[in-house]
Amino acid sequence: MRDYWLNKLFYDLTRSSLGAAYKAEREPVLDRYPLKPEVRRALVEDDLDFIARAGLANPYLLRYYFQLLGYDDEAVMAKLHAAAAPPEGV
Amino acid sequence: MATLAGVFAASHMPPIVFRWNRVDQARRDEVTAAYTEWGRRVAAARADVLVIVSPDHFVNFFLDNLPSVCIGIGEAHGAPPETWLKDLPYTTFPGHPPFAEHLAAQALAAGFEPSLSRRLTLDHGFVLPFFKAGLPALPGRTIVPFILNTVEPPYPNFQRCLAWGELIAQAIASWPGPERVAVVATGGLSHSIGEVTMGAVDPEFDHGVLERMGAPDDAALLAFMDRTIDRAGNGAQETRNWLVARGAAGRARFESLYYRAIPEWYTGLGLAQWHPG
Repeated sequence: MRDYWLNKLFYDLTRSSLGAAYKAEREPVLDRYPLKPEVRRALVEDDLDFIARAGLANPYLLRYYFQLLGYDDEAVMAKLHAAAAPPEGV
Repeated sequence: MATLAGVFAASHMPPIVFRWNRVDQARRDEVTAAYTEWGRRVAAARADVLVIVSPDHFVNFFLDNLPSVCIGIGEAHGAPPETWLKDLPYTTFPGHPPFAEHLAAQALAAGFEPSLSRRLTLDHGFVLPFFKAGLPALPGRTIVPFILNTVEPPYPNFQRCLAWGELIAQAIASWPGPERVAVVATGGLSHSIGEVTMGAVDPEFDHGVLERMGAPDDAALLAFMDRTIDRAGNGAQETRNWLVARGAAGRARFESLYYRAIPEWYTGLGLAQWHPG
C-alpha cells in the first residue's frame, strides 16, 4: 500500500532545492508533510527497511531518495536486500 | 499515405551509462557494437517521425496524476533532466503536432482515451538507446512521445498494449502526408529497481519473451508474460512497451539483435527489430 505523502516527499526532494535543505536538517522539511508517525520515525531513523518491506514507496522514488542521501547502488541494494531478509530470531 | 518505416525495441537502463566502466572492455565493446548496429538500422529507416514508446520515470507525472497513456502532441519537447546525460549530443526535440493530433483523434474515435500533452519533458527512456548507439543526431526529424505507464501499478493490460500498437499502425496508414514513421519501444528486459530484489536479473523471463515475441499468435507470449512478469522485477514491466511495438508491426517477423544478462548493470539487455512488410 503506497503512502501518498511519503511519495510526495520523495518526489519533491528530487525536484527542487528542498533536497539540500532536507540533507542539512530533516525535521523542518518533514514538518511540511502530514506523515504518519511511523513513517516519519522511519525517515528520521533511516529505517528504510521498514519502508521497503511495507511497500510504502514507489520503488523508483525510493531509489531516488537513496541517491539523494548519497547511497551508491551497491549500498542501496545492500539495504534493500536486508529489508527482504527475515528479522533475526524468526 | 504515410509509411511504417520500421519497428524497433531497445533496453534503456541508466547503468549502461553511469556504470559503463563496471564491465570489462570486451563486454563494453560487445555492447557498443550491438547498440551501434541497432542504431544503424533505426537510422536506415530514414524516419520523419519517431513514435517512441517509453514510461515516464516521474519527470512529467506523479501519483496525483498518472495517466496510463500520454501522447506528446506539442511542437517541441523538453530535454532530459538527468545529470548523468550531460554529454547527450541532442539539444532540440521537435515534435510533429499534426501527426500526433491525428494519432490522438484516431485513438479517441476507436474508443481509446489517452492523455495528451503539448509539452512533455523527455527522460532517458526516450534517448538512451540512440545515445549508446553513438548516433550524432536523433534518427528521426521529429518525435512523438508515447508514454505508457509501467512505473506504478496498475498497468495497462497486455491486450491493450498490443491494441495500442495496432492503432498506431492504423494511424500511420490513414495519415495523408508522405512521412515515414518509425516506432521505437524502449525499456526492459528483466530488471528490478528500488525493490527488495534490486539487482536481480531473470534470463529465463528474458529468453522466454524473446522466443515468443516472434511467434505469429499472441496467446503463448501473453500467457508467458502473465505467468512470469511479476517475478522479473518492476523494470520488466517495460516489456509492455515491446508489446506496443509488436502490435504496430502487425506481428511481423521479429529479430532479436542482441541479448545478454549483465549483472553489473543489473539488467537483461535486449535489442530487437521487427520486419513489417
